[in-house]
Amino acid sequence: MSRFDWIILVVTLVAIVSYGLYKSRTSKNLEGYFLSNRSMPWYLVLLSIMGTQASAITFLSAPGQAFTDGMRFVQYYFGLPLAMVVLCITFVPLFNRLKVYTAYEFLEQRFDVRTRTFTSALFLLSRGLSTGISICAPSIILSSLMGWDIYWTNIVMGGLLIIYTVSGGAKAVAYTQQLQLIIIFSGMFIAGYFIVHLLPEGIGFNEALQVSGNSGKLNVITTGITESGFDMKDRYNLVSGVIGGFFLALSYFGTDHSQVGRYLTAKNNTESRLGLLMNGIVKVPMQFLILLIGALLFAYYQFNPGPVFHNQAVVEQAKKTNYRESLESIERQYHYTVQQASVMNRQLVAAEGEAKNYLKESAKGIARQTDSLRTVYKNTLKQAVPAADTNDTNYIFLRFVVDTLPPGLVGLLIAIIFLAAWGSIAAALNSLASCTMVDFYVRFSKHHAHAGQSDARELKKYRLSRWYTFLWGIFCIAVAQFANRMGSLIEAVNILGSLFYGVILGIFLVGFYIRKVGGQAVFAAAIVGELLVILLFVLDYYNVIGFGFLWLNVAGAVAVIMLSLIFQRMGAANKETAGQ
Amino acid sequence: MMKENDKIPLLPSWRHWYWLVVIFLALLIIFFSWFTKHFS
Repeated sequence: MSRFDWIILVVTLVAIVSYGLYKSRTSKNLEGYFLSNRSMPWYLVLLSIMGTQASAITFLSAPGQAFTDGMRFVQYYFGLPLAMVVLCITFVPLFNRLKVYTAYEFLEQRFDVRTRTFTSALFLLSRGLSTGISICAPSIILSSLMGWDIYWTNIVMGGLLIIYTVSGGAKAVAYTQQLQLIIIFSGMFIAGYFIVHLLPEGIGFNEALQVSGNSGKLNVITTGITESGFDMKDRYNLVSGVIGGFFLALSYFGTDHSQVGRYLTAKNNTESRLGLLMNGIVKVPMQFLILLIGALLFAYYQFNPGPVFHNQAVVEQAKKTNYRESLESIERQYHYTVQQASVMNRQLVAAEGEAKNYLKESAKGIARQTDSLRTVYKNTLKQAVPAADTNDTNYIFLRFVVDTLPPGLVGLLIAIIFLAAWGSIAAALNSLASCTMVDFYVRFSKHHAHAGQSDARELKKYRLSRWYTFLWGIFCIAVAQFANRMGSLIEAVNILGSLFYGVILGIFLVGFYIRKVGGQAVFAAAIVGELLVILLFVLDYYNVIGFGFLWLNVAGAVAVIMLSLIFQRMGAANKETAGQ
Repeated sequence: MMKENDKIPLLPSWRHWYWLVVIFLALLIIFFSWFTKHFS
């Protein structure tokens, strides 16, 4: 990075932290610190919801995902708009009417304290771990690109955002997310523009799409149906996206307090609903455009020689071993094949009719060749450095940025990765502290009512809330230190969420829609349901069964609903027997 | 206690808003299907 890039990076980060501190003034009580005194307009709620969901992982992994697997990942978000509608009909009015501080307070009013505590604990566990991964994501890139120590990078990365999150609570989080998103979208647009701009003469946006599409990278809609029927193991297709994505989005936005806490800050039901519905409208196109950057990047590398493997640190390490010659030989073959691809693709975009069909098949053949050379290269890297992670999905976009973009823009794009990470991490820390404070400290202290507290006691809780935010920040940094060996981080976070979200959603759905089920039945159902989800995940992991992770959300929710009905009936039958 | 705003913005009812979101999603899926087919 040039000195100019460093200046841009440091100035952007310092500006965000300063802005967060400037917006930190809030009432020194729990409602002010965790809910911004319920005063936010819909557009701030919208940006806060988007900023919380779109982490650095979104901007790092998604283009890489499109580059390697195509754009079908967008289907994962198809259930989200439907979930927004259900939230607006059911969850939002209820949460606002009960004036809850956390989503889990509702569960005590509906069931009992045990169910509330269990669900809140599940949230703390899953959100604490996934936030650690969210800190790790940008740190991995920085450490790889700059040669920094990953452990110190994690500490610096997590430490800076803690400053304004501890200081200003939900208000500082919302206002910084607004500014962060503006910078992020501007930067991503500029990156997309440069990819097209740097294509060779005669190759524009439409031609790049043709090249990318011919290699199967524009597979936005896939059915998941194979010769042997529907493939349950297939992660992203229309069916799993609409059904699995719906359950995942409903549980994430309806029961994960990092999101519920954002729309609880709205000044009324209307503002909450508008924020959520607008999110339902803009999220899918936004994700489509981010993935499109990856597809365009693929086209870019069909005309320009790029690295075979995008994590240069691993390549350099491998070249210090006896495998150097093998690696360099594969590199030569790869670059020769890319040259062939370049010639073929130029002819392809100019051709018409029967010739075009013939060239399409030839270009596909060359694309398969480059894919197989990449696989051989990765296998050789693995042999040279057995401990190395040979999944370079997260490096593809940033490698392009560092290698290709002009000075200044590199700094800006690196800053964007930080800002995207901070937006989601800050909201997560705020919600983790909120649940610890409200669902555990306040609930189990002698005076657990929210209202009617003395100013001194409110001030004490406010100060303690700041400490909890700080301590969760430290915990998440500690988790980040262990998370740096995972593959695609976006999948890691989603898989982790899917292990818990279905069960949590099932508890809420029973609470909302099945009035006859009581606390004892739903609690037992939640325990058994969670064990079932973990069992399904383990069986899939060891290839005993095929079960894509999005289906875990459906399985968890359905298991809790069915089991709670069965347990409720069994409990009623036992009572009848005992009464006779 | 929170109050519902009397006036629903832009559209006559929330039900219209919900249909707008669902129809927009359906149109997106149709567009994506065309996009996939066109560039495959």
